[in-house]
Amino acid sequence: MVPWVLLLLPLSAFSAVDKTHGVPPSLLASYVPTKDGSQEIWTCIDGSKVIPWSAVNDDYCDCPDGSDEPGTGACPNTRFYCRNEGHIGAFIPSSRVRDGLCEPACCDGSDEEPGVCPNKCKEIGEAYRVKQAAERKLRKTGSKIRSSYIAFAQKEKKRIEGEIASLENEIVSREKEVARLKDIADHAESLSATALEQKKQSPLYQSLLAHHRALKSLQCEHKKHLEREKSLGDILDRLRTGYNPNYQDMAVLEAVRGWEFHAGLPHINDVKKDDEPSTEDESETGKDEEEELEPGMWTPQQLEHQLDELLDQDYESLLLEHDKHVGATEHSDSLLYNLSAYVPEPLLPQFEAFQNALVSWLELLGIVKPSKSDAADDSRAKKAYNDADHSLKLTRDELTKAKEDLSRLFDSNWYGKDGEWKKLDGTCLEKDTGDYTYEVCLFDEARQKPNKGGSTFSLGRFAHWNNGPGVEVGSPEYYSKQFYIHGTKCWNGPQRSVVLELECGTENALHTIAELEKCEYKITGTTPALCLPPDEPEKPREEL
Amino acid sequence: MRALSSLLLLVALPVALSVKTQDFKTCSQASFCRRGRALASRAQENVSSWKSPYSVDADSLAISSDQALFTARVKSSLYPDIKFGLDVRVHDDGVVRVRLDEIDGLRKRYDEAASWALVAEPKISQDIKWTVGKNEVRATHGKKKDVEVIVAFEPLKVTLLRGGKEQVVLNGRGLLHMEHFRTKLAAQPSDIPEEALDAEDAQTVLSANNPRSWFEGDSEDGYWDEQWLSWTDSKPKGPESLSLDITFPNHGHVYGIPQHATSLSLRTTTGESPYYTDPYRLYNADTFEYLADSTMSLYGSIPLMHAHSADSTVAVFNAVGSETWIDIAHPTPKSTETQWISESGILDVFIIPGPTPEAVFEQYARLTGAQALPADWSLGYHQCRWNYVNSDDVRQVQAKFDEEDIPVDVFWLDIEYAEEHKYFIWDKKNFPDPLDMVNDVSANARKMVVIIDPHLKRTSSYPVYQEAVDNGVLVKTKDGNEYEGWCWSGSSAWVDFFNPTSWDWWKGLFKTYPIEGKFTWVDSTEDVHIWNDMNEPAIFNGPEISMPRDNIHHGGWEHRDVHNINGMLFSNLTSQAVMARSDPPKRPFVLTRSFYAGSQRFGAMWTGDNLGSWEHMAVGIKMVLANSLSGFAFSGSDVGGFFGNPEPEMLVRWYQVGAFSPFFRAHAHIDTKRREPYLLDEPYKSIVKDILRLRYSMLPIWYTTFREASVRGIPVVRPHYVVIPHDEKGFAIDDQFWVGGSGLLVKPVTEKGVTETTVYLPAEDQVYYDYFTHQAYRSAPKGKNITVPAALHQVPLFIRGGSILPTRERPRRSSPLMKKDPFTLRVALDKSGNARGELYLDDGVTYNHREGQIVWREFKASKAGKGIKLSSHDLVRAKPTDAVDGVALASYNPTNDFAKSIAGVRVEKVVVLGLEKKPTSVKVAGGKEVTFEFIPGVAASGKKEGVSSVLIIKDPAKYLCRFRKCICTLVFACPSALFSFLHLTHFRFLVQNKFTDEIGSFSVPTGVGK
Repeated sequence: MVPWVLLLLPLSAFSAVDKTHGVPPSLLASYVPTKDGSQEIWTCIDGSKVIPWSAVNDDYCDCPDGSDEPGTGACPNTRFYCRNEGHIGAFIPSSRVRDGLCEPACCDGSDEEPGVCPNKCKEIGEAYRVKQAAERKLRKTGSKIRSSYIAFAQKEKKRIEGEIASLENEIVSREKEVARLKDIADHAESLSATALEQKKQSPLYQSLLAHHRALKSLQCEHKKHLEREKSLGDILDRLRTGYNPNYQDMAVLEAVRGWEFHAGLPHINDVKKDDEPSTEDESETGKDEEEELEPGMWTPQQLEHQLDELLDQDYESLLLEHDKHVGATEHSDSLLYNLSAYVPEPLLPQFEAFQNALVSWLELLGIVKPSKSDAADDSRAKKAYNDADHSLKLTRDELTKAKEDLSRLFDSNWYGKDGEWKKLDGTCLEKDTGDYTYEVCLFDEARQKPNKGGSTFSLGRFAHWNNGPGVEVGSPEYYSKQFYIHGTKCWNGPQRSVVLELECGTENALHTIAELEKCEYKITGTTPALCLPPDEPEKPREEL
Repeated sequence: MRALSSLLLLVALPVALSVKTQDFKTCSQASFCRRGRALASRAQENVSSWKSPYSVDADSLAISSDQALFTARVKSSLYPDIKFGLDVRVHDDGVVRVRLDEIDGLRKRYDEAASWALVAEPKISQDIKWTVGKNEVRATHGKKKDVEVIVAFEPLKVTLLRGGKEQVVLNGRGLLHMEHFRTKLAAQPSDIPEEALDAEDAQTVLSANNPRSWFEGDSEDGYWDEQWLSWTDSKPKGPESLSLDITFPNHGHVYGIPQHATSLSLRTTTGESPYYTDPYRLYNADTFEYLADSTMSLYGSIPLMHAHSADSTVAVFNAVGSETWIDIAHPTPKSTETQWISESGILDVFIIPGPTPEAVFEQYARLTGAQALPADWSLGYHQCRWNYVNSDDVRQVQAKFDEEDIPVDVFWLDIEYAEEHKYFIWDKKNFPDPLDMVNDVSANARKMVVIIDPHLKRTSSYPVYQEAVDNGVLVKTKDGNEYEGWCWSGSSAWVDFFNPTSWDWWKGLFKTYPIEGKFTWVDSTEDVHIWNDMNEPAIFNGPEISMPRDNIHHGGWEHRDVHNINGMLFSNLTSQAVMARSDPPKRPFVLTRSFYAGSQRFGAMWTGDNLGSWEHMAVGIKMVLANSLSGFAFSGSDVGGFFGNPEPEMLVRWYQVGAFSPFFRAHAHIDTKRREPYLLDEPYKSIVKDILRLRYSMLPIWYTTFREASVRGIPVVRPHYVVIPHDEKGFAIDDQFWVGGSGLLVKPVTEKGVTETTVYLPAEDQVYYDYFTHQAYRSAPKGKNITVPAALHQVPLFIRGGSILPTRERPRRSSPLMKKDPFTLRVALDKSGNARGELYLDDGVTYNHREGQIVWREFKASKAGKGIKLSSHDLVRAKPTDAVDGVALASYNPTNDFAKSIAGVRVEKVVVLGLEKKPTSVKVAGGKEVTFEFIPGVAASGKKEGVSSVLIIKDPAKYLCRFRKCICTLVFACPSALFSFLHLTHFRFLVQNKFTDEIGSFSVPTGVGK
C-alpha cells in the first residue's frame, strides 16, 4: 500500500508548478493574481474568463485561449517558453511539454518534469557560440567575395554603358548608310519593275516557282518526319532508360525490346550474372550503312545543308540574268555562280560539287546558258540595302540587349540590387552523383548528363527567384532559391524542373541532388553571393 | 511554390487509368470454372430429374470412440470404382467440419490448406452422439440442444439445422463434384468444338457412348493442358477440380469471401438477372489499377462466407488454397444459393453455426486465430510514399510534420531504398547512413517500416539470393529447375516458404547483429518494421502477373494447389522473424498485401494499389469491412489513393476515411505529386491536422477495441448487421459503420461537394449524440434516416446513448509520447440515464500482457438515488480468461508493474452528455466536491432533439489524490488514480463563488431524474 501513496505524489506535485513556468518575459507581468474577497483570482489573457489563481498551471485547461497553462501543456495549440539561462530563450509548442522527451530547444530541461532532463544550456550555449563564430567567419570570408561580385557589377555597368554609347553611335551611322542604299535600290527597282513583271509570265519562271513551292513543301514535310522520328526515338530512348518495371506492364517491356532491336541497342535491363562478361559495352551501334544513291542524287547531308540555300535563290535575279544569258556564250558569274561567296568555309567542297552539278543540269536543260553577265543591278542594290538594313537591326538588337543587361544588373528580380549575382551569370556548376553529372548554368539552364552515355536532358531554364507566398523580393530568402522550369518532358511525367536552393558559402558549388518527385529536382548548393556582411543585421528570425 | 503545388494538385486523375481486364481470366477462360458452371446449368435445366451421383455407403460408416467423429465411404454412381472418404466431426463450440477426399487414387489431392489456416487443431466435442439411421446419420448439439447436423446418405447431403430450420446445406442442389485423378488416354479427343467452350451455350447432349455426360458434359473441356494468352499450363495431373453447392435456405444476405472491390452484402452472379456476370473469384493477383465494382480477384483470398438473417447468423469456411470461383444467387429475397468451384484440393468445409454475428466471429477465431494484438504505435498514422528518396528526405519529412505539429508515428520506405531492389541492401548512394536515419526517427518515439518483397534478384553477389540457392529453398519449375521470373529486381527467384528449411534461415536474416557466416540485417534496428508486398506472388511476366500453376513447391505440390496460401506464408515468416529479433520478443508490425485465412495472426493488410478516385475511396470502406468480417481486422486502404493526384477536397475526405480505419496509412505512387498533409493549403491543412489529432485522441478507444478483436475475433470496425443483428434495414448498409463496441458510429463522406448527408440510425429507441456538436438525435424502433451537416471539415460521427468513451485530448507528435497523458471520459447517457464503456491498456509493445501486465477497466454510469454514479471496475478480475489473447490469466495482480507505471495517469475531465438538469453538486468518493461546468440542453430521456446538455467535471481525479483517506480507499479499490471511483451524487445547488453567480438564479434545488 505504502509505495502506492508515494507513486501518487508526483501527481500532486504537479499542482505546485510555478505559476509563471513557461511564461515568456514579455508576459510575466500578466501572471499575477488579483484579490476578490478572500480569494485570489486571475483573468485569462484574452479577458474571456476569470478563474481562481490556483487554476493557473494546474494541468487543466480552463481558459478558452489556453493562457492559464503556460507551463504544463494542458492547453493545446499554445506555446511554452523555456528560459534557457546561459543560452537563448526559446518557445516550443505545448504538444512537446511533458511528453517525456527532452526538447533540444529547451536546453534547461524545463519542458519536462523536474529531474527528467539535465540542464545542458552551458555546453549547448558554448557550442552555439562556437558555431555562430564559425558562421560569422564564413560569412565574413564569403561577403568579401560577394563585395568583389558587386565591384564586378559596377565594372560591368561601366562596360555596358560604354557599349551602349558606341552602339548608339554605330546605329546613327548605319541608319545613314541604310537610307543611302535604299535610295539606290528604289531607283534600280523602278527601272526594271515593268520589264520584270512581263518576264515573270514566262512559263519557265512559273514552272520554276512551282518547283520551288513543291520542293519547299517537300522539305517541310521531310523535316517534320525527321523531327517526328527523332522525338519518337527520344521517347523510346527515355522509355528504355527510364522505364520502370513498375508499370508491371509487359507491353512496355516489349516496346523497349522492339526499339532496342530496331535501333541495334543492347537490352538495358539484361540481368547479368556477376561472372558473365558484360555484353553491353562491346556492342557497337555504329552500323549505319550508307544506302546506295543514284548518281547525282543528294546525300542526306546535302539535303540538310544545301536545300535551304537552293530554296533561298533570288528567282527574280535569275530571271533577269537568264534573259541576258539567252544566246550569250560566256560563263556566268551570276548569283548562282557566286553563291560560293555566301557559303560557309567548311561546306565549300560539297557546295561546289553541288553547284557544278546544278549548273551542268541547268545548262543541259538550256535554262542557263553558260555565259557571263554584268547585270541584275537592281536586285544587287536591293540586296545591299537589305543587308545594311539587317545589320542595322542586329545592332539595334544588340543595343536593346545591352540596355536590358544594364537594367537587369541592379534589378532585384535579376542580379540583385547590388548586382551581386551578375558575376555568376552563365557560371556553370557541376555535381557528379555516380550515374549522372548534374550541371546548373546559373541564369541559363540546368542539365542532367549521363556519365555512361546516353542523351543529356535539359532540366529547365532559369525562370525566377523564390517568389513563394510571403517572400519579399530582394530579401535573402528571395535569393535562396532559383527555379529552372520547362526542361525536357518525362515520358510519363511532367517537364523536368529544378529548384536550386542556395546558401552562403565561400564557393560556388552544388552539394546535393534529389529527385523528390518524378522529374522534379531539388539541388542544393552554396555561393558567396548570399553571404551578407556579418554586421549587416539580417531580419531576425522568429523562434518557433 | 505552394501556390504552384496546389495548382498542380488540382490536376485531376487521368481518366484513362483502369485495369487491364484482358490480363486476368474470366470464368469462361478457366476450364475448371467453365466445367463447374456448366454442371450447374445442366442441373438447372434438369432440375426435376437431377440427382447427385454421390452417396454414402452406409455399411462403411464408422463412429469414433469419443462419438464426435464419423467416417464413411462415399461413392459416385458415375465412377463406381473410384473411392472417396468422408469425415464429419463436431468441434466443442459446435463447428461442423466436413472433409471429403479421394482415397487410393492415382495421385493424392492437396490436403494441407487447413493446416496452414488453422491456428491449432480444433478440439472435438465431448458430448456429441451420432445417431445412425437408415437414410442418414444425425447429431444434436448446442447449449439448448437445438442444433442438428444431418448427413443424408443418398444422395450425400449435409444439413445444419437450428430449431428445426435449415441453416446450411451442402450438396442440396447436387453440384458436388470431385473430379478424380485419371490417366490421359491417347485417343481422347483434344480438340474441343468452340461452342462447347462457352458454358452458357453448352448443351447437355446425352451421348449414347457416354452415360456420364448428363452430369459431366460430353467433352473433356481443358482436362489435360490449358493455353492462356502466351502461357501454357501443362496440367500434368489432369482434371482435379472440386465443385460444391452451399445453400442458406433461410438467409437473405451473404458477406465475406474477400478480397473484392464490391458491396459488403454480396450481389448475385447467377440466377435471374444477376448483378454481375462472373462469379466472385479468389485467386490472389496483382490486379493493377483494379476496378471499383467487380468480382475480379484481388490480392488476397479468405474463403469464408457469412450468411445473415434477422434471427440467425451462420458461416462456412471452405479451406481450399487453389483458385476458387463462387457463384451467388438469391432464389428468393430470404434465401441464398452458392456454388464454389475450386481448381484442386480436397473438400474441407467448416460449418460455423453462430447463431449470432458475434458467435460466428468467435467460432471462426477459434479456427484460424484472432487478429494479433498490434503494437499500440501501429494504430497511429503511417506516412508512406513511393518513395522517400534519401535519408535526408526522410528527415525533412519528419521535420515538416513537427514544424506543423501534425502527429505521425511511422515513416515508410518503398522499394527504392534497396540497391537494385535487392531487399535488405540499402542503396548507399541515397541512404548512406540508414542507422542514423532510423535513430533520428526513433528519437521522436517513431518507427520506420521498410519494404521486403519476396522476389530475390538472381545475382550471386546478393547474399540473400545466394543463401537461398545454397539452402535449396527456391521455388522450382515443373522440370525441377530454379524458377526465374521478372519483377522489380529484374530476373528474380522466389523463396518457397512451404519448405521448412527456409524458416529459420529467413528468421535469421532479420537479426540486427552480425552472425558469423551468414547475412543478417545489421543495417537495421528494432525500430524498423516490415512491409511485405508483391506476395501474391506478383510476377510481371507470369500468367495473370503471377506464378505458373505447374511450378513446384516443397513436397511436390504444384503452385496451383497452394497459390492462395502462398502470400500468407511470407508474412507469417516475416512476422516471426521480426518478433524473434528482440529478446524478449516484441510485437512485430508486418503489413501484407496478399493474405489467406489466418493471415490476421501475422499483422495488418491493406487493399493494395487503389486509384485516387471517389469510387475507390468509397469501396475501400466496404473492402475494409469485408476483410474485418473475415477475421482480418487490422486493415485499411491507402489514403489519397495510390495512383493519381487527388484534389485537396478528396484528400481531406480520404483522411476522414483513414482516421476511422483500423490501419491508417497515406501512400502515393512515384509519379504523383507529393501530398503530405503539411503541403496542403489552408483550410485543408488545418482540417487534416484536426482529423489526425482526432484519431490520436481516440487511440485508447481503438486499442481497447483491438483487445476485443485479439481475444474474441470480433472486428474492430463493424457493419450495422453485426451491431444490430435484428435490424433488416441495416443488412445492406456498408457506407457507415461502428468502431468496435465503443458506441461510435461514423459515416465518412466519400462524395465530392457534399455539405450534408444522410445517416441511418438503427432500429432502436435510443439517443445518438453528435460527437462534436453534442446535437442529440433520436432513433426509432423501425430505424430512421437523419440528415446531418457534413461540410468538408465535418465527419458525421455519433455516440450511441449509453456509451462511455475514454480519450486522450492532448496533441502529441507521436502516440508513444501520449502514454503519460491524462484521460477524458465522455459519458453519453442513454434514455434511462445509464452508460458503460471500457478501457484497455498495456505497455503496447511486448507480450507482458500475457503475464497480466495490464489494466482493463469498465466504466459505468448509473442512476443512484437522485444522482448519477460513475464508477470504474476491474474487468480483468471479472473475466480473467477473457482478458488477453492466447492465454487465460492464471494469476492477476491489480497492482502489476504496468499498472504501477501509469499510476500518475489520471482522468482530467469527465464530460457527461444528456443530463436532465444542472446538478447541484458533483462529489468524488470521500465526499469532496469538485468544480464543474454545466451547459443546459436536451436531456437523454424524452423526445426532444437539439443540442444536449453538457456537464464538464474538472479534474475529478486530482482531488482524489489530495486526501490520504481517499487514496487509501482507492488503493484498496483499484490500482491507480485513473481507475478510481467517481461519484456524481447528491446534486445540491451550489453558490460557492462568483463563477457560478450567473447561474445561481435557480432558486429551487433540483436533481437529476425523478
